[in-house]
Amino acid sequence: MEVRLYDFSPKTAKKIRVGFVRKEIRNPFSLGATNYLDKIIVIDPDRHDVLLKNEEEKHDQIVILTRNSIKTSVINKSKTLISPNSPSPMANVSVAAEWQLLRNRYYRKPELYPMRWKHIDLSRNKVACAPFGGPIAIIRDDSKIVQLYAESALRKLRIFNSAGILLSETVWKHPGGRLIGMSWTEDQTLICIVQDGTIYRYNVHGECLEPNFSMGKDCFEQNVVDCVFWGNGVVCLTEAGKLFCVPDFKEIRPCKLAEIGIGDEELPHCMAVIEPQYTVSGNVEVLLGVGSGIVIVDEDEVRFVDEEKVGGVVQKIAVSRNGRFLACFMHDGRLVVMNMEFRDFFKYQCESALPPEQMAWCGLDSVLLYWDDVLLMVGPSEDSVSYIYDEPVILIPECDGVRILSNTSMEFVQRVPDSTVSIFKIGSTSPASLLFDALDHFDRRSAKADENLRLIRASLPEAVEACVDAAGHEFDVSRQRTLLRAASYGQAFCSNFQRDRIQEMCKTLRVLNAVRDPEIGIPLSIEQYKLLSAPVLIGRLINAHQHLLALRITEYLGMNQEVVVMHWACAKITASLAIPDAALLEILLDKLKLCKGISYAAVAAHADRSGRRKLAAMLVDHEPRSSKQVPLLLSISEEDTALMKATESGDTDLVYLVLFHIWQKRPALEFFGTIQARPLARDLFIVYARCYKHEFLKDFFLSTGQLQEVAFLLWKESWELGKNPMTSKGSPLHGPRIKLIEKAHNLFSETKEHTFESKAAEEHAKLLRIQHELEVTTKQPIFVDSSISDTIKTCIVLGNHRAAMKVKTEFKVSEKRWYWLKVSALATIRDWDALEKFSKEKRPPIGFRPFVEVCIDVNEKGEALKYIPKLADPREKAEAYARIGMAKEAADAASQAKDGELLGRLKLSFAQNTAASSIFDTLRDRLSFQGQLAEMGIGGHRTGFRAQKRDFAVYLAFRAA
Amino acid sequence: MAQIPNLDNSPINLKSLREQSQKELVNILKNIRGKKCLVIDPKLSGSLSLIIQSTILRENGADLQHLSAEPVDTDCTKVVYLVRSEFSLMRFICSHIHKDTSQGLQREYYVYFVPRREVVCEKVLEEENVHNLVTVGEYPLYVVPLDEDVLSFELDLANKECLVDGNTGSLWHIAKAIHKLESSFGVIPNVRAKGKASVRVADILNHMQAEEPVTTSDMIMPEINTLILIDREVNDLSSVASWLNDKLFKEIRDLNFEVVVQVLRQKATSMKQDYTEMTTTNQTVSELKDFVKKLNSLPEMTRHINLAQHLSTFTSKHSFLSRLDMEQTLVEAQSYDICFDYIEELIHKQEPLVSVLRLLILFSITNSGLPKKNFDHLRRELLHSYGFEHIAMLTNLEKAGLLKKQESKSNWPTIKRALQLVVEDTDTANPTDIAYVFSGYAPLSIRLVQHAVRSGWRPMEEILKLLPGPHSEMKRGGFSSSPSISTLNGASAAVDRVADGRRSLVLVVFIGGVTFAEISALRFLSAQEAMAYDLIIGTTKIVNGNTLTETYMEKLS
Repeated sequence: MEVRLYDFSPKTAKKIRVGFVRKEIRNPFSLGATNYLDKIIVIDPDRHDVLLKNEEEKHDQIVILTRNSIKTSVINKSKTLISPNSPSPMANVSVAAEWQLLRNRYYRKPELYPMRWKHIDLSRNKVACAPFGGPIAIIRDDSKIVQLYAESALRKLRIFNSAGILLSETVWKHPGGRLIGMSWTEDQTLICIVQDGTIYRYNVHGECLEPNFSMGKDCFEQNVVDCVFWGNGVVCLTEAGKLFCVPDFKEIRPCKLAEIGIGDEELPHCMAVIEPQYTVSGNVEVLLGVGSGIVIVDEDEVRFVDEEKVGGVVQKIAVSRNGRFLACFMHDGRLVVMNMEFRDFFKYQCESALPPEQMAWCGLDSVLLYWDDVLLMVGPSEDSVSYIYDEPVILIPECDGVRILSNTSMEFVQRVPDSTVSIFKIGSTSPASLLFDALDHFDRRSAKADENLRLIRASLPEAVEACVDAAGHEFDVSRQRTLLRAASYGQAFCSNFQRDRIQEMCKTLRVLNAVRDPEIGIPLSIEQYKLLSAPVLIGRLINAHQHLLALRITEYLGMNQEVVVMHWACAKITASLAIPDAALLEILLDKLKLCKGISYAAVAAHADRSGRRKLAAMLVDHEPRSSKQVPLLLSISEEDTALMKATESGDTDLVYLVLFHIWQKRPALEFFGTIQARPLARDLFIVYARCYKHEFLKDFFLSTGQLQEVAFLLWKESWELGKNPMTSKGSPLHGPRIKLIEKAHNLFSETKEHTFESKAAEEHAKLLRIQHELEVTTKQPIFVDSSISDTIKTCIVLGNHRAAMKVKTEFKVSEKRWYWLKVSALATIRDWDALEKFSKEKRPPIGFRPFVEVCIDVNEKGEALKYIPKLADPREKAEAYARIGMAKEAADAASQAKDGELLGRLKLSFAQNTAASSIFDTLRDRLSFQGQLAEMGIGGHRTGFRAQKRDFAVYLAFRAA
Repeated sequence: MAQIPNLDNSPINLKSLREQSQKELVNILKNIRGKKCLVIDPKLSGSLSLIIQSTILRENGADLQHLSAEPVDTDCTKVVYLVRSEFSLMRFICSHIHKDTSQGLQREYYVYFVPRREVVCEKVLEEENVHNLVTVGEYPLYVVPLDEDVLSFELDLANKECLVDGNTGSLWHIAKAIHKLESSFGVIPNVRAKGKASVRVADILNHMQAEEPVTTSDMIMPEINTLILIDREVNDLSSVASWLNDKLFKEIRDLNFEVVVQVLRQKATSMKQDYTEMTTTNQTVSELKDFVKKLNSLPEMTRHINLAQHLSTFTSKHSFLSRLDMEQTLVEAQSYDICFDYIEELIHKQEPLVSVLRLLILFSITNSGLPKKNFDHLRRELLHSYGFEHIAMLTNLEKAGLLKKQESKSNWPTIKRALQLVVEDTDTANPTDIAYVFSGYAPLSIRLVQHAVRSGWRPMEEILKLLPGPHSEMKRGGFSSSPSISTLNGASAAVDRVADGRRSLVLVVFIGGVTFAEISALRFLSAQEAMAYDLIIGTTKIVNGNTLTETYMEKLS
């Protein structure tokens, strides 16, 4: 039978070109209900609607043929005529006309792109297509004998987008034998495995990623014969029937799977994997059709499933996306779908017993099988649809269907979504369908629009929802728009519909339409987009250097733009070797400033890695976060700037970071010079070195001329020597200590400003000598390291007055101090006679107060009384009497002093003292006396104020006592 | 066991701040599975006890120990150190680990730095070859709420490190702490700083805001309206002078209102009432101490009591009275010779060094240093009496400018007059000025705060120039552009009240420490009817004359 097809493209509308179907179509009308045709009409694909409507009136049934398949759609007109009142579904006919019914489910196969490439014959090539509308890698298949036309003998690896636009190409020159497997990973790296097990990796720009990996020695020796890839992994089969696996391409670590134990003469018929995420062990499992059964292999074990259970020799296996079903093509041409326990769900007898070239799951409820020119779709319950292809195709499984790539087009086989079915199914009277129809009436100003709406009022929200949902599933922009308009029209009449639902869908569709543009060539369905997620899509766009679109999308979706801008900047640097630093910096800054908080340091680090250190330095200058900036400056050897920035930040931790870095890198003197110029760094260095690097610190001070600091260090060392048990008191090892102090003394005397310290060091050395001598003469190790005053006191306590006197003269101790020291020392040993004698030696330079105080302090009232009368100041006298509880004398002295404040205080002190009850009478006198004084106005406001303050203190003192 | 301060009445949500810190610590412990020995830096244990109950730590499988030179005695195989970044502590840790390895003990070591890890400490671990054995982490405890209006950054040595060693790490830390507060309470729109360190902190704070902006929505009003930063250096006087009577009274008063009733706070504004308060409670200090112990109160509080007890033994000494007199005389700065003789005599009598130093510092400050002859003489007498090892301390004090040679005429009398620091007329019946609370002396810092709150620095530029260090004033954030807020920042106190009747907040940060006396003074200010602000106090540490002076008392030996 001959069928004529007429190509009627809009441009050549008037001219009719006649063409012939090159191959006989097998049983072309077996699907139709009728066996004859009235006529064949040629339809302009863009004018379906009009023509079909015309024909509709004349015919009961229409069969539509398109160029490479028979899109059998049988219109059952009578069904639509059942209810004359129901709205006409005619507007929807054209949509449903392209669907195929597989039992109770509709499938459709819209064309996504006509391929833009030229002269590509898939049959001559090895092809790897990434899922989620990813790129297509093509390389001439070196396992086939092909005729070379006007092309180089060298093979080229070419990478296209899904619309067939060339992204990159590179010459394939790798050794290692034939290319066995080629596939894209999840992050869109192209993995190529050659015969000897070497793995080459490419990015979408056709750049080979270093380094290469090997599948291991065994693979190298045995030759790889087959590879099965999944998400981010691969299983390789060698000639010797051994299996090797790379579980994750992010970390390429090949491992060997359990040995199947089959000889090389009976390699498996077919191979498939269950992805690790669906296995119990969490490791990949490999299904092999071996002999007359199936073998399941993982890292540790091998399980055999015999023929009885499987039901025949398995020629081809495909695992469903969820890892729960197997589609097996048997030796006898049966397709058996079973679960993982090998219980079969349905069988389908194919016409051919030859195994299909390709087999893939389409969604979860049908399987596609491809032979040379037929694509057979088998659904549950043994239904099938076949498509005729007169050119080779590649099946690309997706989460919600299968893409079909041929030399000329990219199509997408998909189960028609429920919402779409409810709207466009012929004869549908669902609310959604009526709503859609209502819009049509509305547009045509027909009153039926209102009628339709009334019919579905109750279920309006669900109708709107269906329209929105269906819009999401459409690839055709005008149909998306019509559906959304219908939704929006319906929404106007329903109060309780989530309003942002339509808005959300519009947003999503805008993004999808943008990436579906052939120039971008990512034909994502809405389901795929949801599964992939927007951030991953952005990642793919920027990897493909579609930065502008990525930026627009992030902006549109309100996502963080940092990742896009950052990637752009890095890519820009890599690609702009010819642009001078300053110009490139301008270009970069212009974009980087779009993104607040972006890490300039990260971009700078990239510039540095790209060998542009100067640019890196310029960029890092713009990094506001010193914690990021400073380490980078160090890594590009900008230590001085790093030190400056660290200091500016005020973060001492950063300063230390730089400090240690420079310390390690530069010779000591240069290091000293650097930090001497920076006070904070210098001070921090000193703090650290004081604890840990004493000698080094000394070098620093010497080199910077800070002799006094060296002197202090030496002086400090002298004490550390003193702590050493070897130089314990009285030992002759005091020598080195004294030497150190003398050295310090000399250093101090180098500068005028440190005469005081110099003198002190000198005296200290002298003191140590004297103390040492004293310890030798007294044989008591109690002198060293006490102060001059203490040394004098100790001498006096020991009764060695001559030594005390010697120390006094040696250090020019003032008379005042001498008196205090001697008085207190004598009181300590309670040598009252000596004290009295001392008081009479001559008139004490500071009066008798010291004598009184020491006696009172040790509670020797009698002794104190010897000296109290000698006190010159009556106030002192009064207080002294008061302290030893002699109230009357105290009062007398106080009144002599005419000091109201004093009196008041004394009064209070005795009032609190219960032991002094006998003096109460006297106190009463004092009270009246006090009253008189107050009347006399003694003690002004100010003294009153002080008195108040004191009263409180005294009060507390006595309370606490 | 310590009691965690009650923060319910805090003007800002300090509780959430504290809960955050609690959670962070618990998470650290939870992430280290199983039983572990938590070795705590003794100086941190005070701060920690204000944050979290030790029982909670134990519940998370932590055995608590204090870090010291002694090796850790525990069966646990996991040892978690919680330490400040300090060299000496690193040495302890290293020696512990060395000891364990020499005994063949295999343990897992974790070192958590508070508040953050520092290169310099890790360097020490590296030099001691233990770096590979240790897992390093950080516990970002920057702020510890001591009371509902007092925050501490727990930096004991900030003053000395900055002034003597030139190590300004603490300034970064303070800025970070404030920045952290800002991330909870919004960017503080007004910042006023006086003193070198304060101006630097304001700088760093700005730097941080530029580096990692606090991202609060522009719609949210910042909870804290003004930040006032004041250097201890500007006002060493009020920290060094003892004001013994007042402080003692203040502490006991503070105890009362914390332990007994909150209401006393309002009542306690007049001194007279407090006197009666004192007599009616009729307890000796030691009784109070027992009382407090029974209440399981704060270690902080026990410290107050200790201090009070210490002071009371001091007051019982005869010399106390003359000393008090002398302080007054020093502040009045009128009789140089008397002061000089008095201090010289104290040295001759070898009175406790700290108290001598405090007077000496006071003497030096009020005279803008001492004439060279006297300066050298007193220093010589000090070394002779207390030993030559104190030369290091003298150098420290000189570097810090606390004890120095006179180079110019003292401007203290001018400052005193301009800021009315010594108030002679006080109306006892109706006190309105802080000077009343302080026996006639108004602490300089508090006067500055008063001015800064009321009108900003501008009207008092002249006086500020007399005080050491620069000053700065700035407006921050996108807030100043919004008209509604710029009126809020206006000078008039009336508009400063937030619409809902709450008063707007001022955070006063004392860099180098704050005394209880100053805190009380600020509370007094805050309690004034005419005051338009609530005050919150932030400080590196609560100090008194002794603790502050002690940080400088480094010996050569």
